Amino acid sequence: MRIHVIARYIGFILLFNAAFLFIALLISLADYDSATFPLLYSFLICTLLGLFPFIFVPPAKYINRNEGFFIVILSWLLSCLTGMLPYILFGGEFTVTNAWFESVSGFTTTGSSILNDIESLPKGLLFWRSATHWIGGIGIVIFVLVVLPNMGQARFVLLKAEQSSLAESNFKFQTGKVLRIVLFVYLGLTLAETLALSIFGMGPFDALLHSFGTVATGGFSTKNLSLAYYNSVAIEVIVMIFMVLSGIHFGFLYISIIKRRLNIFSSYVVRYYIISMVAGILLVSLFLYLKGTYNFTDALRFSSFQVASAATTTGFATADTVHWAGFAQMILIFFTLQCACAGSTSGGIKVDRIVLFLKYIRNVIIKMFHPNAVIITRLDGEPVENEIIQNSLLFIALYLLIVFISALLLTAFDIDLLTAFSASIATMGNVGPGLGHVSSLANYGALPDMVKWILTVNMLMGRLEIYGFIALVMWKSLK
Amino acid sequence: MGIRLKVFFGFGILAFMLLLAGFVSIHELTNIGKSVIKMLDDNYQSIQATNTMLEALEREDSGVLLLLMGKWDEGRKHILQSDSIFTDAFTTAKNNITIEGEEDYVHQVQLSYSVFKQVWQKPIVGTSKEGNFEWYYSESHEQFMQVKNDIKALMELNQKAMYNTSKTLKDRSKRSVMPGIVAIVTAVLFALLFNYFIHHYLTEPIIQITRGVEDFNEYGKDFKVEIETNDELRRLAEAITNLLHSSHIK
Repeated sequence: MRIHVIARYIGFILLFNAAFLFIALLISLADYDSATFPLLYSFLICTLLGLFPFIFVPPAKYINRNEGFFIVILSWLLSCLTGMLPYILFGGEFTVTNAWFESVSGFTTTGSSILNDIESLPKGLLFWRSATHWIGGIGIVIFVLVVLPNMGQARFVLLKAEQSSLAESNFKFQTGKVLRIVLFVYLGLTLAETLALSIFGMGPFDALLHSFGTVATGGFSTKNLSLAYYNSVAIEVIVMIFMVLSGIHFGFLYISIIKRRLNIFSSYVVRYYIISMVAGILLVSLFLYLKGTYNFTDALRFSSFQVASAATTTGFATADTVHWAGFAQMILIFFTLQCACAGSTSGGIKVDRIVLFLKYIRNVIIKMFHPNAVIITRLDGEPVENEIIQNSLLFIALYLLIVFISALLLTAFDIDLLTAFSASIATMGNVGPGLGHVSSLANYGALPDMVKWILTVNMLMGRLEIYGFIALVMWKSLK
Repeated sequence: MGIRLKVFFGFGILAFMLLLAGFVSIHELTNIGKSVIKMLDDNYQSIQATNTMLEALEREDSGVLLLLMGKWDEGRKHILQSDSIFTDAFTTAKNNITIEGEEDYVHQVQLSYSVFKQVWQKPIVGTSKEGNFEWYYSESHEQFMQVKNDIKALMELNQKAMYNTSKTLKDRSKRSVMPGIVAIVTAVLFALLFNYFIHHYLTEPIIQITRGVEDFNEYGKDFKVEIETNDELRRLAEAITNLLHSSHIK
């Protein structure tokens, strides 16, 4: 493994982060706020760290698979480390643990926060906080690949390490085109949402930052009450639409936009994603209405938003789900586990794997009655290789095992069962809010430091699709 | 980029990091120093002034008691000296209003003290008040306690403000440590990376070139050294290749 080559590519990512730190610094300067010095100092450190390898390391003609893995994984870790600099230098609620938690939560697009008073943060820092979502959402590496034409074959290796294997198999485009699609859709969605939110009464700065949070399926808001602060149906509907869109494979969105026809429903996975979400919304709405929690309109309004927010792994909130009864909370937990489609910026198990899992169960049952039958699992008419199915099943099993272990560890720190399980699920799925003490309108600030560190490991594992994280831990075997 | 430039930039960045760390530390320490001075100016002076006022007030009360006992000269001297000290301390407090609402407290002290002053400014010795402890408790002592409580309220206000400022200072001192720690960690990281790059891009190629020349001399092996970077070392390797090639032809 060539450390110098890895250092060079991580340098690109740090420079990319530095560019956003610079924008945050300009905002801070324009606003005369108290984050100027922390942002300036962080910008300088990030820039110097990013530039340093360029002095010595020439461009690599190729990079191998292991180097690709390490570039991606270390990019996340170093981005999280440099991302916490403005927070720890700012102080206030940001201790070292809290700064790390907020940074990891931002870059992994989880959206869990330790902050009790978000609104007291200066604008520059608020921008950086939401920008970490945006950078993380696109996948730092993919973004850098677009601006680095000199990487040649190296591009494909990095992309492979970054994205879900299912997303990769779904993509029937060249790597270069994939990057253009991702950029086109990502920028397009961000701009469109910012515009729509601005039209419907949100200030341009808040609109941009909420768009960062939505398109990246992150969930950092600029308000203590998240989107509940605005109490506006129009804003909720806009955010909901963009949350759902951001949870769909970007390739489908791209084709739909380019060919000007709704292509997304041609995919079984997307159909399942939409139908399951609608079913979840109806069930929760009816339940909350019949339970007398809300009148029917409010039940539909709040459940639509909360279910969509959990199912897309965004994590914005318009209602405090801690007051909802068990059935509604269980449905939210299901969506927090299932999450959205591969090829989007969402985390979690992903709908694609759930679909394969369900199809596999159906095939096993058929096989019980027809032992000699040759049954091929198909997705959108295409046969799916057994290896992919096995990997998906293994992934789901491993995912649930990690959630269980994480919840077990949390209960060792006197965290109640509901909070422990929901926090583990919410952080593994990069969703953000859980239930209990970490519900939609609460935060993670009161949890013990050790618990916060455990949860950040969950976030990183969720973002790196578990295997990436395991590769880092077992790096010696990759040598 | 040539070796000289690479080394220059490498050390340049390291030096910049150290300068930055130094600048940040000086900046933060200066800020803390300013905050300490401000805290002393704002609150400590007022607390000292209130303490002096309290002491002077106690002595004035003793003076009133002396007058009550018929000791006119001694009592009058006591009271006038204390009044002068009180007035000086009060002026300090009045000129050092830095907390929100402090002006009201100072005004209250001024009012209650002027009422107290009226008690001892009127004749006591040789009047019905002399030896009249009932009058002392109902008139003088009550007013004395009123002034004392008002001064204590002013003191508490300043003490609270001082406590809050010291808490802020504690936070600031924590914050001032952070840039230093960040700079040290980053500088160590830079130093490690720099060391690795020097080894990989300077030392290692020199070792390869030396080994190549030795192998050529001792075993007659072809001189094949590939240098990744486009710098003096590659040109040196190419020059050696050409030299050995031409000497081999001769």
